[in-house]
Amino acid sequence: MRRARADSLWLLAAVAFVLAFVAAPLGCMALEIVWTGGRLDLTPLGTILGDEHDRRQLLTTVALGVTGTLIATLLGLGHAWVTFRTDLFAARALGAAGVVPLVLPPILVAMAFSDLFDTRGFAACAALLGLCYAPFVAVLAARGLRAISGEAYEAALVARGRAAAERWLLRAILPEVAAGALFAFAFVISEHGVPEFLTVKGKSWHTYAEGIFAKWTRRATGVDHAALASPIVAALPLVALLAVALLVALRLRGRATIEGDHRPLPMRRLGRLRHVALALPLGYLGCGVVLPLVVMGRWAGGSTNRATGVSLERMLESFRLAVTEASGDLGHTLLVGVAATGVLLLVAAPLAWNAARRWPWIDHLSIAPVAVPAVLLGIGMVRAYNRDLFYGFYDHGAILVAAYAARFLPFGVLTLSAAVRRVPRELEEAALFAGRGQFARAVRIHLPLFAPALGSAGCLAMVLALRELDVAVVLPAGNGTVVRRLSNIVHFGGEEMGGALALLLVLAATVVPLLAVILTGRKLRSLS
Amino acid sequence: MTAIGLNGLVLERQGFRLGPISLELASGSRTALVGPSGSGKSTLLRCIAGLDEPSSGEVRFGGECVSGGRRRSVPPDQRGIGFVFQRGALWPHMTAVQHLRFVEPSIDRDRALELLHRVGLGRELAERRPHALSGGEAQRLALARALAPAPSVLLLDEPLASVDAHLRAELALLVRRLAEDGGLTLVVVTHDREEALTMADRIAVLNEGRLVDHGEAAAMLRAPATAATAAFLNRATCLAVEANGNGGVSTPFGDGPRPAGDGPWSLVLLPGDLEPAREAGVMARVLRCEPDAVGYRVHAAFDGHSVEFGSSNSIRPGDEVRLAPRGALRILPREGGRSV
Repeated sequence: MRRARADSLWLLAAVAFVLAFVAAPLGCMALEIVWTGGRLDLTPLGTILGDEHDRRQLLTTVALGVTGTLIATLLGLGHAWVTFRTDLFAARALGAAGVVPLVLPPILVAMAFSDLFDTRGFAACAALLGLCYAPFVAVLAARGLRAISGEAYEAALVARGRAAAERWLLRAILPEVAAGALFAFAFVISEHGVPEFLTVKGKSWHTYAEGIFAKWTRRATGVDHAALASPIVAALPLVALLAVALLVALRLRGRATIEGDHRPLPMRRLGRLRHVALALPLGYLGCGVVLPLVVMGRWAGGSTNRATGVSLERMLESFRLAVTEASGDLGHTLLVGVAATGVLLLVAAPLAWNAARRWPWIDHLSIAPVAVPAVLLGIGMVRAYNRDLFYGFYDHGAILVAAYAARFLPFGVLTLSAAVRRVPRELEEAALFAGRGQFARAVRIHLPLFAPALGSAGCLAMVLALRELDVAVVLPAGNGTVVRRLSNIVHFGGEEMGGALALLLVLAATVVPLLAVILTGRKLRSLS
Repeated sequence: MTAIGLNGLVLERQGFRLGPISLELASGSRTALVGPSGSGKSTLLRCIAGLDEPSSGEVRFGGECVSGGRRRSVPPDQRGIGFVFQRGALWPHMTAVQHLRFVEPSIDRDRALELLHRVGLGRELAERRPHALSGGEAQRLALARALAPAPSVLLLDEPLASVDAHLRAELALLVRRLAEDGGLTLVVVTHDREEALTMADRIAVLNEGRLVDHGEAAAMLRAPATAATAAFLNRATCLAVEANGNGGVSTPFGDGPRPAGDGPWSLVLLPGDLEPAREAGVMARVLRCEPDAVGYRVHAAFDGHSVEFGSSNSIRPGDEVRLAPRGALRILPREGGRSV
């Protein structure tokens, strides 16, 4: 009974968190639409898609999402296919590395490409975002390939031949690929930082997230309630589209579960193409990871405009400057990242356990924070907590911790609930017969059983929190984050120190998952 | 003395209803809960263990109410029971000894090794984790874990279902021996007749959530009270029969005596109840014919029912043979449908 009471309290605390940092901000946004001058006013709802400007932004956003997702799918599926399905040189390491582009903030990748090429226009923006979110497809496609039984593939091979077997295989992993693509789509159309950065370089088109952020930042200079309510209303179809996309992703992913041990798929021999095929994963990782890091390294080394060479002394100086001037930001970012991860796991654990064991609909509800563009969630947080009552909280890093934990909660809930479903209920029930207290059972039985999933969810949350920009630009506490400082470089210069800072941020975001893998003795593959 | 008492126990869940079941199991008795899949055997066992909470009714342990009634349910670890799950439910991160020492912190390594030895696990397996054990070894460890806290009641949910066929008889005997040696009250769920008869002295037959028969296994074998019991224990073929206007029941072999009660009834044909006949009887098609110690054992089918009879001659599969009952027709209630 004590156990049941403690579990209920934990679940109640998690629900309270969701109400406070997901439902309340979104509720405030809803009020923004229908509560004018102290009374209910439903007229803004009638303006859905009525404003030509908003409509154009929405269409551009959807077009960007579709194009970016197509590119992400081509890159991610291609990478997963050649690294998990063929005898490619160093396939295992390259396959695990497929997730690494997720570590780099998209704004950083955009800045690097912008430095090297004339990165302007819709196509470039879509390509960059596709590159940045391809890991979703790569990871889930690889998961799908691991889940397929080698015997089932061979049965198709024997019955219908190689080409038909490969088509069968593609169809078999389609649910996972589609789920990855839909997650990528959700992030691409929510992205505000990269399209806005490209505006600086002379872009003539705008996405929805940019539009609402622009109106939000101009509030103080005359944008009235109606002007702000209009884009929020305009977002409703977008939010609905996102929610449907994510629900479909969830259902598709749920259909493709890994069950039991089976013989893995037979490797396809590439023969003379073995080295040529390396071009795909190397190109993907080169553009998504190596190139941005090289550019940042070059900036740190003093060659910001390529007119001067890289100098080791200037590089050391940049790092010294980054550590002395931005150590506060770096520490703040890491602290917020670690705290957000901890809070996320504490909130996600009871929700995920109950989603897996009692109420599956929790999985579906949990996607709400990702279905809303990050900028909108950030504005909702401001609307909800920029009040006298919450003064200390609103200016404090704690609001950033809560916002990040809320924003990435779906990944924690989905990862953990999938893990709980894989662990037979009997393993937990067997512990009930031991005359041990709840704490002993939690530490000795539950924690080891779910530690790998907790590690994965924690790593993902940490990485996403370290690179999150869209929430940080709205909340005052976000001023002290490294990503915010990096995006300011676009406007105010300081590339040398920015390059060093970016490298330090990527190092921190890489070290955390690697440490988790090393300390838990898990295989490198588990990173993905 | 009653070790476990069930009083009007009912559990309703997702369209399934178990009970009402009233049953008393004496201290030191060994009972097998048997019946077809979905009959509620495992659910009943879980109610006894405290893993599922009954909707109504009571579960009593040694006279004390542990579920139902006014007081709150007693947690599983305070009921003095050991539980063996169907697939072992071993913790993948713990060694064999760690399993035992987690459930019973007071036992030292030597006692843990001794307990492992009692279930047939050697010292060399003591530090192995479940993935390094065979199916039989894993189930022995599950048994040792259940016995570690020295329970007075041992509950087993299809403990041999995931074990290789050649090990089942050996493990069933081990379970029985351990229960006898420890004076344990044993309740085992199984759908296997041989396992039930090896491990238990008493049988409780469940069908569609109801307890349809319960008693001494030997007596039930000799004279099954219901068609469901005969089908499970005696491998009988049961044919639904209807009352006729003559005060009896109509069967494919002619009219039979109508038992007391309202029915429904079944004609129960035990192996050997039928024999080849020249005139009366039903025509059956031979499915297969195997030699046995005294002649041939013939498996045949009529009207979709499979029957078995002895023959002094070999009969070719596909041949038709006329069959008639050897003695009086056995008409039994289909399942009783009563709480025992």
